[in-house]
Amino acid sequence: MPIMNITAVTVTTTTAIITQTAMNASVIGITIITTGVIKNKKMKALTANKITKYFHDPETFQVLKDVSFDVNKGEFVSIVGKSGSGKSTLLYLLSTMDTSYEGNIAINDTIVTGLTQNELARFRNEHIGFVFQFHYLLPEFSVLDNVMLPALKLKKKSKEEIEARAMELLTLLDIKGHETKKASKISGGQQQRVAIARALINEPAIIMGDEPTGNLDSKNTKIVFDIFRQLAKEKGQTIIAVTHDDEFAANCDRIIEMVDGKIIQ
Amino acid sequence: MANINNKISWTHLTSKVKQLIVAVLSVTFGISMYVFMNSFMNGVNNAQTDITFTSMSHIRVYNDPAGEPAILLPQRNSSDTLTMVSNARHINYTEGMINADEVKQVLQKNKDIVAVTEQVNQNVFFRNGVTKVSGSLSGVDVANEIQMFNTTEYITEGNLNDLDKRSDAVVLGTGLADKLSASMGDNISLTTADGVNKVFKVVGLIETGSGSVDKSRAIISINTARQLLSKNKSYATDVMANVKDYNDAKTIAAEVRPDIKYKTEAWQEGNAQLESANTLRDIIAVAVSLTILIVAGFGIYNIMNMTVSEKIREIAILKAMGFDGKDIVYIFLVQSVIIGLIGGFIGLLLGFAVASIVDRIPFKIASFDTLPITYLPADYILAMLFGLAITFIAGYLPARKASKIDPVAILRG
Repeated sequence: MPIMNITAVTVTTTTAIITQTAMNASVIGITIITTGVIKNKKMKALTANKITKYFHDPETFQVLKDVSFDVNKGEFVSIVGKSGSGKSTLLYLLSTMDTSYEGNIAINDTIVTGLTQNELARFRNEHIGFVFQFHYLLPEFSVLDNVMLPALKLKKKSKEEIEARAMELLTLLDIKGHETKKASKISGGQQQRVAIARALINEPAIIMGDEPTGNLDSKNTKIVFDIFRQLAKEKGQTIIAVTHDDEFAANCDRIIEMVDGKIIQ
Repeated sequence: MANINNKISWTHLTSKVKQLIVAVLSVTFGISMYVFMNSFMNGVNNAQTDITFTSMSHIRVYNDPAGEPAILLPQRNSSDTLTMVSNARHINYTEGMINADEVKQVLQKNKDIVAVTEQVNQNVFFRNGVTKVSGSLSGVDVANEIQMFNTTEYITEGNLNDLDKRSDAVVLGTGLADKLSASMGDNISLTTADGVNKVFKVVGLIETGSGSVDKSRAIISINTARQLLSKNKSYATDVMANVKDYNDAKTIAAEVRPDIKYKTEAWQEGNAQLESANTLRDIIAVAVSLTILIVAGFGIYNIMNMTVSEKIREIAILKAMGFDGKDIVYIFLVQSVIIGLIGGFIGLLLGFAVASIVDRIPFKIASFDTLPITYLPADYILAMLFGLAITFIAGYLPARKASKIDPVAILRG
């Protein structure tokens, strides 16, 4: 797999950090940025450079206009904006599933722009976890199997290790006791937590969420938010979530707000 | 990789048992029909061939006097002489072969020839009282005749070996006996083309299944026949040989031909209609059974297509989690191959069962008791191969469609 290392990250945008919440992590984030630009290279979880994208159907329309930004390791970022502002489109570009764009994207010091579909599939498997608005669990599989699936695909650990790890995650997410049930037989909040466990099984560098709490009531939203918060803080995992939920966004380390395909600062 | 993909395939298959059964049954039906149709057609072909070879050998050697008579004229001694011959005809030729032993030896030397016998055949008149019937008289070498044509199996009454025991014994075809209203133990007389009369006693009746033969043929010992025609001891009109596989008759006839001065003919040369009928039946059997298999293929295609449409979100999420196009093709292809394997295996058993039931259906025509069936391993192997090939193709198309699903389009909703 021809993975290129980033040799020069010239764009050192002084990212706007909204510090309306005095969270520890965001303070650390600021410190890192201000202490040394040179070291930043190592600490970047994700770099988007001059991303431009067009939709051609039904007519050509520019969704993203020259979008550039960085996300640090361990940062909990939410992307907000009205529908049609391009926030979901941006997330799917970052997720490497959508590959038709101009500009380039680097994740974990690997330039993913230009990799083949199969290389990207492998990359996603190892480095990115997904949580969607709808859980998208495989309904015919047990809860445990659903969680284990990405790890069985990655094949870095033995089946026993994977199972132990999956049980650990299920315990952490408070779904222990349901692991042998079919994924379609548990409640919506539980399903979403299973989906999070599945996203975490390979210990990805980045977790991406497309309205991860969009379908949940306030109680479950809080649970999911707290899990994300904890992951970013304790495990240093980077979280990027598109959300409509203002409260959810307000509690993140940083908010990236999109208007008409641009980031406003 | 294969491990987790297999697990997903298997879960997809087992979660929809009804659908799985329908898909398996369509393959089962196709393959069992393929097996049955081919077993039956081969049975019919073999039965047809068996009947044919009860009175016909694979290779026949005979004296063929036909052809342009050679015109023997003195050399023209000057260019102004004109010679004309009109109404040319044979003035003398030998009927039959006076040295049939020599021909027999040549044939026996060839290792592909398993049986050789000689016959003296002659057209005669049979008479019983005022009933007069023309027919053919075969003088046979009883022991060799039995070895070659399995003649004793077609004897309905009496015993063929009696021909060697008394010189006035005759075995009549059942149709001929009816025409003469002769039965066992009766005396009939026959007259040769040369006007020789002799009285024979009916010691047996034969039914070969070939109507024209049964209505016209009588069998006597070859030595009696030679006497009747006042011929020498090595005389025969036909020398017949059977080879190991009757399909090779042409090549073996060509091998021995240079060493024999008489006409040497393989059965196909005189009976093209038999061969073409066999070929046509085979084509029909294969066409019908392949059509059924292809219909089964459409069934699988349809079911797999439905499965892919139903699971489109799961496919998208699998792709998002890092399963690539090849994994997706594998997952769905394995499902149709499993359907093909299960359906194929049951189909082989069912085909065998149907064939053996049909094999027991009473069918009283000619020398048959039941409908003819031939069990050939090649039919079973081919049925399985065709079945797997068709399920593979029928599964590959939806699988490829699934692998091309764009996860973004599905997951964004």
